[in-house]
Order: sequence, then C-alpha cells, then structure tokens
Amino acid sequence: MAEVTEIEKKQQLAASDQSFWANVKKQFKKNRVAVFALKFIVLLVAIAIFADFFANDKPLIAKYKGNTYFPLLRSYSVDLGLAEWQSDLQNVEWKNLEYDWVVFPLIPYVPKNIDSDNAQSVSPFGEQSIKSTRWRHWLGTDELGHDVLSGMIHGTRIALFVGLVSMSIASLIGILLGSIAGYFGDDRLRISRGRLILNVIFFMAALFYGFGSRSYILSDAIAISFGKFFFEFLISLLIIIVLMFAANFLARITKLVPFLAVKIKIPIDIVISRLIEIMVSIPTLFLIISVVAIAKPSIFIVMIIIGLTGWTGIARFIRAELLKVRNLEFIEAANALGYSESRIVFKHAIPNALSPVLIAIAFGIASAILTEATLSFLGIGVPAESLTWGSLLSASRQNTGAWWLAVFPGLAIFVTVTVYNLVGEGLTDALDPRQKK
Amino acid sequence: MFKYIFKRLLIFIPTLFAISLLTFVISLNAPGDPVDTMLNKNAGGEGQASQKLATEKAYNDIRHQLGFDLPVFYFSFTNASCTDTLHRVPKKNHRDVLQRLAFQYGNWSDVANYYMQTKSFENTIYALPKTETNATALIKVRDYVSSLYDTYDNARIKTIFSNLDFVFNENPEIRTNIGFYIATKEAYNTMFVNSSPYTRYVPTVHWYGFENQYHRWISHFLVGDFGISYQDKRPVSSVIWDAVRWTLLLSLMSMILAYILAIPLGVLSAVRKGKRSERVITTFLFMLYSLPNFWIATMLIVFFCGGDYYDVFPAFGLGNLPDDAPFFDRFWETSFHLVLPLFCLTYASLAFISRQMRGAMLNVIGQDYIRTARAKGLDEKDVVWKHALRNSLLPIITLFASIFPLAISGSFAIEQIFSIPGMGKISLEALISRNYPIVFTVMMFTAILTLVGNLVADILYAAIDPRISFSSKK
Repeated sequence: MAEVTEIEKKQQLAASDQSFWANVKKQFKKNRVAVFALKFIVLLVAIAIFADFFANDKPLIAKYKGNTYFPLLRSYSVDLGLAEWQSDLQNVEWKNLEYDWVVFPLIPYVPKNIDSDNAQSVSPFGEQSIKSTRWRHWLGTDELGHDVLSGMIHGTRIALFVGLVSMSIASLIGILLGSIAGYFGDDRLRISRGRLILNVIFFMAALFYGFGSRSYILSDAIAISFGKFFFEFLISLLIIIVLMFAANFLARITKLVPFLAVKIKIPIDIVISRLIEIMVSIPTLFLIISVVAIAKPSIFIVMIIIGLTGWTGIARFIRAELLKVRNLEFIEAANALGYSESRIVFKHAIPNALSPVLIAIAFGIASAILTEATLSFLGIGVPAESLTWGSLLSASRQNTGAWWLAVFPGLAIFVTVTVYNLVGEGLTDALDPRQKK
Repeated sequence: MFKYIFKRLLIFIPTLFAISLLTFVISLNAPGDPVDTMLNKNAGGEGQASQKLATEKAYNDIRHQLGFDLPVFYFSFTNASCTDTLHRVPKKNHRDVLQRLAFQYGNWSDVANYYMQTKSFENTIYALPKTETNATALIKVRDYVSSLYDTYDNARIKTIFSNLDFVFNENPEIRTNIGFYIATKEAYNTMFVNSSPYTRYVPTVHWYGFENQYHRWISHFLVGDFGISYQDKRPVSSVIWDAVRWTLLLSLMSMILAYILAIPLGVLSAVRKGKRSERVITTFLFMLYSLPNFWIATMLIVFFCGGDYYDVFPAFGLGNLPDDAPFFDRFWETSFHLVLPLFCLTYASLAFISRQMRGAMLNVIGQDYIRTARAKGLDEKDVVWKHALRNSLLPIITLFASIFPLAISGSFAIEQIFSIPGMGKISLEALISRNYPIVFTVMMFTAILTLVGNLVADILYAAIDPRISFSSKK
C-alpha cells in the first residue's frame, strides 16, 4: 500500500514538474518577439560555429591541375598537425590560382587577408577593383584592405564565446554561493569545531601549496600559452582539492575529542550576503579595466574577469529562491528520509530554483558581450591582432569618412545584445506566476 | 530606523576595506615602476659615476617620499625562501629578480651576497675613468653588468659571465679591479651550489607592523590626503576636482532631461498596455535600452561631425576659446560641444528610467485603490496623472540615489570618444598609465558614493512610503 502511494506521488510530482516547464514553454511561445530572438540566437551560434565555412579564403572544393582538393577541410588537419599541404598547394595565393573549377565559400576572405587593391577603406557601394562580383567586398574594407563582412562573421565567434565562457564562470560561482547561502541560511549549517578548524588550516595550506609555492610556475606558463597555463592551473586546483579532502577525512578523527566534536552554527548566509553586497558596490567596469590594463592582453583574461565579477545577480536570484524552497515539504521529506545535505541541495533544491537563474543568465550574456565590445572598442585587454566587433568599430574613429566601419560592426553588437535581452525579457514574462492561467 | 542606518554604516567598513585591498593588490602587480615615471627618466644620464650616483640618490629620494621603501603590508604569508628585508632593495626590477633567485635557490643570504657583490663590481666599473683606449670595452662591461640585474635564468647568467670573461681577457687595461668580478662570480656559484629549493614549501609569516605602504596609503586617504598624480605631479584632489565638474555638469543635465522625458513615456506605455501605441513605445524603449552608446557616439561623429557627411557639431573637446572671451561666447561654444555627448548619455538613462517607470506604474494601476477611484467615477486623466502617478513616482525618485553615483564616475567610452576631460576620461587614462593614486581615489569614491546612494535610496523609500519600515525584521 505504502509503495503504491509513493509511486503515485512520484508520478504526480513528475506531472506537475512537466506542467511547470510546459507552462513556461507555452507562455514563452506566446511572446512572438522572444521566440524570434531565440531563433536568431540559434542562427548566430550557427554562424559562429561555421564561420570558417561562411568566410574563408580557401576554396571548399577545387579541381586544380587535374586533382580534386578540399583545401578548407585540409586546413583543419594541417592546423592540427595531422597532415601537410599537398605539394601543389603549398604556400599558394588561393585567389590567384588557375583552377579547372572551384567553389569558394560565400565570402572568399578571412579577416586577416589584406586586399591591397582595395585598401584605404573602399565603400560597399563604391567602385571596387575586383575581378568579378564574386570577389566583391559587400560591406567594404578598412584602411588596410581587410574585408569588413568577413571580420564580422568571425567576430561573432569571439562575441558569443565571451558570453558563454564568462556566464559559465559566473553561473558556477553564483549558483554555488547563492545556494549555500539560501539553503543553509543562518541556522542550518552546523559543523563540528574540529572540522571547522581543520578546514580553515587546510584551506590556508591549500592556497599556499596550490598557488603560493607555484606562483612562478603559473606566471611562466601564462607567458607561454593559455593552454599551458590552464594545465598548470588545473594541477593547482587538484592540489587544493586533495588537501581539502584530507582535511575532511581527518575531521572524522577529531570527533574522538569531545571539545572538538561540539557542533557550532555558522551564519553562512550573512557572510555570503555581505560578500555580494561588497561585489555590488565595486564599480565593475572600473575593476575589469584596471585588471585588464595590467595583464597581458588576452581575450581569455577578459572572459574570466567578466565572469568573476558578474555572478552576484545569479547568486541573489538563487539565494532568494532557495530561501523559499528550503521550507517546502519535499525538502523536509528528503530530510526525513535521511538524505545527505549535498544530495538534497544539488538534486532537489537547486533544480527547483534554477528557473529564475535562466533570466539572469540571458541578461548576463547580453551585458558580458557589451562589456567585451566596450573594452575592445577602447582598445584595452584585447590583443591588437584579434579582430572583434568592438575593434572593428573603433577603426572608424581614425577614419570618420568610412561610415560602413561604424554602422555594421555596431549593428552586430546591438542586434546580439538586443536578442539576448529579448530572450531574458521573454523568460521573465514566462516565469512570472501572475501570467499563469 | 537609526539602528538600521547604523548597521548599514557598519557594513561600509568591510566593503571599503575590501575595495581598497583589491585596488592595492592590483597596483602592486602592475608592471612598470612609478618612481621612474615620477623621475621622468632623463635617459642617457648614467655615463659617469657621479651622474649615476646622483640619479640613484634622486630615485631613492622619490622612493622614500612616496613610501615605497616600506614593507608592503602589515604582514606577509609566503614561503621561507622569501625574506622580510626585500623591500629595502630600491629598484623594482631588481626586487623581482632577487625574489625569483631566492625562490629558485632557497637561500636568501647567498642571494643577498650575490647582489651585494654585483653592486660593488658595478660601482668599481663605473669608478674606472673612461679613456680613448678602454671606452668600447668599458661600455660593454657596463651593459653586461646591468643585464645581470635583469635575469634569473642560469643559462643566461652563465653566458653573461663568459662574455665578461672574454672582454676582460681582450682588454687588460680595465682589469685593475678584477677581484670584484671574481667575487661576484664566486658568490653566484656559492648560491648555485648551496641551493636548497625545499624552502619554497615551508610557509612563513612575517609581521611588519604599522609602518607599511598600505597603512600609509589608507591612513593618508582617510584624512583627505590623496597623494600626487605620478604623471603631472599635481595633487590628486585638484586633478579630480577639475574633472568632476565636467562630469557633474553632464550627468546632472542628462539625468534631468532623462527624467523629464522618461516619466510621461513610462506612464503612457503603462496606461495603454496592450494597444498598438504602447507596443511601439515599449519596443522603442527596449531598443534604446540595448543600444550601445559608444556605437551611437561613433555614428554621430561619423555622420554629423565633419567626415564626409554633415558638419553640424564639433567632434572633440569643449572648444578652445580663451578664458577672457565674453561669457556668453564661451557658454555657447561649450554648450555646442556638449550636445552630442549629452544626447548619448541621456538616451541611455532615458531608456532605463522609463522602463522602471512603466513597471512601477503597472504595479500601481493594478492596485485596489485605483479601481476604487475609477469606480467612484473619477476622470481617467485624474486617476492616472494624480492618483496613480504620485504613488508610482516613489521608486523612480529613489532610483536617482542609486544611479547618480554611477553617473559621477563618468562614462568611460563617451568621455573618451568626445574627449571631455571628465572623470571617465581621467580614470581611463590613469588606469592605462598606471597612475594609481588617481585610480585608487576614484575607485574608493565611486564605491563610497554607491554605498551611500543605496542607503539614501532605501531611507528615502521608507520615508516616503509608510508601508515600509526598517524597525521590524527586514
């Protein structure tokens, strides 16, 4: 009998869960603008992923001196070191070869191609010195003869990547801290004195051995490449994780001492709320610029720092939601069943609180993209050779005659930011309980 | 209420402490040497021993004046290879290399000995009089010695030593004090042989007390002494005062304009919810909200400021009429220059404020007392503009307190694009040129203003709206 009711409960729960998301989906779909925006994001993602195939100076497929080649695909394996160029194709000027027949990508330029015939900013509507319309610069060129449209297509990658990476970092921090604060509040986190002391000591030690003793290894690695740095950073993290595990393993032994076994309350919500308050009152753009201005210009540092400063909104959302959720019956039930804290938090509480976080993430991506664009527009933090929408736009400041350098890259930033904001707006409406019917 | 304010004020302390620490840590890790910036480095003046001594003295004087000869913080938590006396070494690049050497070889006394030997070797080399015959060799040796200070890499140091050996063998006339060179080499070898790299795994804590750079900085800041700008050696307070006037002017004007336009727009879009006109207004505001203002600024410059199109407005600066020009001429000149930046700043806040206004108005219109007002037959105009508007204005007014601090710190991009010497521009320049006294001050003031602004907003909210009270549990 008892089993039956449990199964029924589960089914009910599943049904209600389904109906919640189904309802959100239904509400979201009612908002035609938001749906359109979402489709547009999918399109942008597709452009970002397949940017090489939309705009490239290498032919997709070509018949040259009797042989058929796939230069674009080949370039991937050459870049990975898996293959070499065929002898006919080594160091060739793709544009000038005499092919038997050839299919070029839609835009036959990569951003770094310099078309010296069309340097000095050629207008999209003006006369261009090109062989045929196939080679037209549809959105003009810049001072050096770079194709603007190709730059914009490849710039999509950086823009979306910035949004993705920085918001992943921000969500990770925000969800972790927000859920700890919200679930435990000020009264539920009780740990024994021994465990607390060990954790503090080992945390200091972990920082020391993870970063202090390895500071030069890390700084040398960052000078070599980001990949190397990432590897060394992972080793540092591993050291920290191992030490923290050791601390909590040793904590079991300290339980034998009565004084250390006493459990004390930790007002973790106050601590994290203060931390959020501090983060919010720091002028973020100022902080980002000051960090980025002293570091070696790198798009990854920009992403990381945007992520590290952008988590407060998410943390606030999830904290508020979990403060509500933690008193609901199903959490109490999980508690009564004797589930572990971490299982309750990660498997039951957070999934139920995640929906409003989606809103914060959508708006967060928009603002991350905008921040990156501002930085590269100001020429801070982004290496000079990497081409972004912001750096394309800033080129128009030296050359105020070239309106196309101002209009198109800016339009790309604007449209991208707008569609993410629209999706955020649509989610806000869809998740608003007052809208339910 | 007072308890609440007191509690909020208490929170200011850790927040400001955290921000000051953050800025301080950033400034410590910045490349470049502020003392060199201050000295303006009249390069090439190190030819003779006397000149070199004079430059070193000037360097040390400025270093002392700026307090860079003090330890960095109250305490340090590092590995045992680091020493607690490193801050006494004057040059920043020397300190970096010495710290690295200590880290590699783990024995500070040997590293210090090597440094001292190198120094005295360098001094004897500079003391040697330059003659026709030894000039080339002497210059080479000097170059090699100074490159010794810049490297910690064993292979490179060995190369430098072998180069020095070669020069000394070729030119016997500069070998008068070769003993110092041999001592340097020996000191390096001792350091290399005695290396004990395990010390980097031994944590140590040094306590320095209150005589440290951070303490000096923050205590001066708290009594209103913000230091002097590294770049132009003016007091930071006067640099900031000059800049804040422009930013204040711009942001106040844009704020007022934005409020004047935003309130009716917000009300209209709320009242006509669901109608076509509402959708147009809302979409328009949403677009404005997502328009990057640096893009609009660039476009305005391209299309209206000379370029190849209309030449209506000046693109840069504030005009260059002399100070004794008639007041009205100067006024017009300046206003004309401010039109475009003002436009860019206004539309952004306009979008934000009107969206908030719309939200507040929608909230109020759904209330029972509005229904009552309508039910008792009041004119719709009266209901909207008298009853509803008054109540929905509350959050909008308090909003001012929280967005004003941000406006004061200026808009980096707008001020940069239109070259307005306001806060945004000077802080951007200070950040790029690592002029930390200015960065530190601006950052702290922005944070203080944000904190105060948020507090004022909350208090205002409670003062205007009797339904909100802080005395009960928040």
